[in-house]
Amino acid sequence: MSEKKKLSGIISGDKLILIGAIVVVYIVFTLLNRNFFSWTNFVNVLVASHLVGLVAIGHTYLIIAGQNDLSPGSVAAFSGVLAALLVSWGLNFWLALIVTILAGVVVGLFNSWMVNSIKLEAFIATLVTQSVIRGFAYIICDGKPIAISDSTFLWIGKIRFLDIPLFVWITILCYVAFGFVLAKTKFGRGVYAIGGNKDAARLAGLNPKRIVLICYIVMGIFCALGGTLFAARMNSGQPAANVNLEFDAITAVILGGVSFSGGVGGMTGTVLGVFLIQAFNSGLTMVNIPTFWQYVARGGLLLFALTSDFIRRRNRERSLLEASKKNA
Amino acid sequence: MQHTLEFKKITKYFPGVKALDGVSFQAHSGEVLAFLGENGAGKSTLLKTLNGDYQPDEGEYLVDGKPAHFRNPHEAIEAGISVIYQERQILMELSVAENIYLGRMPTKGIMIDTHKANESAQRIIEDFGLPIRATDKVKDLSIAYQQMVEIMKAYSRDNLKVICFDEPTASLSDAEIDSLFRIITKLKSEGKIIIYVSHRMSEIKTIADKVAIFKDGRYVDTVDARTTPEADMIRMMVGRDLGDIYEKLDRNTDPKTEVLLEARHISSDYVDDVSFTLHKGEVLGFSGLVGAGRTETMRAIIGADKMTGGEVLLEGKPIHNRSPYHAMKNGIVLVPEDRKMQGILANLDITDNINISLLDKHSNALGILNRKAEQETAAKGIRDFRIKTPSADKKIVELSGGNQQKCIVARWMATEPKVLILDEPTKGIDVGAKAEFYQMICDFAKQGLGVILISSELPEVIGLSDRIIVMRGREITGEVMREDATEDRLLSLGMMEKTKKENKA
Repeated sequence: MSEKKKLSGIISGDKLILIGAIVVVYIVFTLLNRNFFSWTNFVNVLVASHLVGLVAIGHTYLIIAGQNDLSPGSVAAFSGVLAALLVSWGLNFWLALIVTILAGVVVGLFNSWMVNSIKLEAFIATLVTQSVIRGFAYIICDGKPIAISDSTFLWIGKIRFLDIPLFVWITILCYVAFGFVLAKTKFGRGVYAIGGNKDAARLAGLNPKRIVLICYIVMGIFCALGGTLFAARMNSGQPAANVNLEFDAITAVILGGVSFSGGVGGMTGTVLGVFLIQAFNSGLTMVNIPTFWQYVARGGLLLFALTSDFIRRRNRERSLLEASKKNA
Repeated sequence: MQHTLEFKKITKYFPGVKALDGVSFQAHSGEVLAFLGENGAGKSTLLKTLNGDYQPDEGEYLVDGKPAHFRNPHEAIEAGISVIYQERQILMELSVAENIYLGRMPTKGIMIDTHKANESAQRIIEDFGLPIRATDKVKDLSIAYQQMVEIMKAYSRDNLKVICFDEPTASLSDAEIDSLFRIITKLKSEGKIIIYVSHRMSEIKTIADKVAIFKDGRYVDTVDARTTPEADMIRMMVGRDLGDIYEKLDRNTDPKTEVLLEARHISSDYVDDVSFTLHKGEVLGFSGLVGAGRTETMRAIIGADKMTGGEVLLEGKPIHNRSPYHAMKNGIVLVPEDRKMQGILANLDITDNINISLLDKHSNALGILNRKAEQETAAKGIRDFRIKTPSADKKIVELSGGNQQKCIVARWMATEPKVLILDEPTKGIDVGAKAEFYQMICDFAKQGLGVILISSELPEVIGLSDRIIVMRGREITGEVMREDATEDRLLSLGMMEKTKKENKA
């Protein structure tokens, strides 16, 4: 009984609408360009999704916990440049990766310090980080992209299993692991609890500050890992890269059913949201929509996501009201 | 001009409660109608429903016999219905005249005619007999005069029919109250309908002609303010003979002498030098006015607020609770006063809400939760505390207030505490559920727990406690044994210290 309920819970309602939206995107763009519906393009969408995908995991945690992060684009670019720079100085790729990830952890510590200790709003606090880290991305390479010649580094960006690149597999693996943590562990439950009601959660014996800290560190690690993999894919570390990364990731997460008001949503929705937004973006390019108009279209998609979040929230409130009418 | 205001079967739902239940009655011109009822009886909700802040789910109201419907407070004001709230609704940076005529300043061509506005405002001020000027900035006025500005703002509309006051005297001095009453009498003589919400019986006796009594969202009756004895009104608003409930309780007749919890000279940002002891199997009441420092004492003890001085001993050993988590590990738990803001996790279901403090117990070394164990704990809580719900995976907000509160109690009892602190546990809960809670509290004491009961309801704290501590102005002012506890004694302890202090100062 409860198993059956859970199964229907995963694919019913909101998720069904998302799958429907993906189908609509596929039909519309396939009609406009026959090549859209192909294995090659499917893999292309996955390739384009890997970085947004990793960052969206971080956003799923943060937004459910009642936080947010506008710095991932900068941090990913900085990480790509840093890794490329370290390797160009002769450092072993794996060591460079570790140092880069540690840098991501430091960014996470900084973000959570601003939110936890000086009580800034996450939106504003991470805007600080966005600017500062973008600055450092330019400073450390003197504004010039750093080409990668290290063979391991390049290999990471090239190697494929079953026609799908390694970095996509890494993203998929992260989804499975972090989806499990969110749904099935003590930490995940804490994330939902503090997002729903921080004060009540603290009085119930949880430590909201620590949970927020860990969420920002996780986000920092994903930005660093994703940025490094992105550099490997591009064969260079580019300080100007990944602008608007957080924009796509947040849109995907909200589309996937995470509520801006916190405490609601899950990883399955985010997977679908990321795929939807990347399919949409790739479709826009394939049917030759000019870049400038693509910005407008993406804004439209975010507006759509926010509106559906609003409608979902209102429906939840209404159904609660109905339920309590029955009880009263 | 004569006016009537009629409420017809007004019903309003909020998640988990029926805030108004078929309220019907009439108010007439030239009388002051007081609303009387306990907290949560529906008085403020009714005012907000009248002035368009809330929309009724069922029913309607008639102004002068015609159905009226306001989508927002602005429409209500336009139609001649104003509510004066405790919180000021005026703009501090503007002058008195600008506030009175906000949004409808007289104009000369395209320019605002400040001169004319000041003149007409000054006329109203003189009419009211107030020593202020139309050009004064509102922020420079006392709270009482700021309130007068709001009243004049409503009064300045030619079509004012109904004016409602929501606890208008809460922050006024005696002299200011007198001048407010003078104005109300004037409005009354001009044929306005006046609705007056207050908790203070003496004021109601002075100013009101009739009293509409509310209880648990229902309208009970309207009585004559001057001839009806106070005790009768209170009985109607409480709606039950409280003595009975308490006498029927199966109490713990034999609290141990063994000290369970000892607080020594506790201080925080909100309380000074609070000391008390709690025995095993005892119900220790905390009485006093709201803001006396009762909740704050408990928050300091469980580490929700920082303790700046003193120490806590549990079973004779000093403990230090750095956070509610550490308090829980030590066996001290608090069911907070504000269920909605500090108790429930509205986004989660009943199972999650009951188990949220047991995450350590129900997870393995990797932090993976054992859902089955969680479900068993939830099922036990639902059974033990008779939580009324079709299933454990309902969202907690779908339950009634009383059942939500039971979930919070179930959450804490599942941690097997030694000390259970209940802060206004029956606030906003219907009578039936209250009786259940009272027996529950007695049962906890019988099981050997130390129970601390903070309650502003005097009969409740007297009826349940073995011993009562009274607080006033951040400190303890007295301790009364059950046998000696009367409402008068607790009230005088709750207020006395203030007068003493004032005399000193």
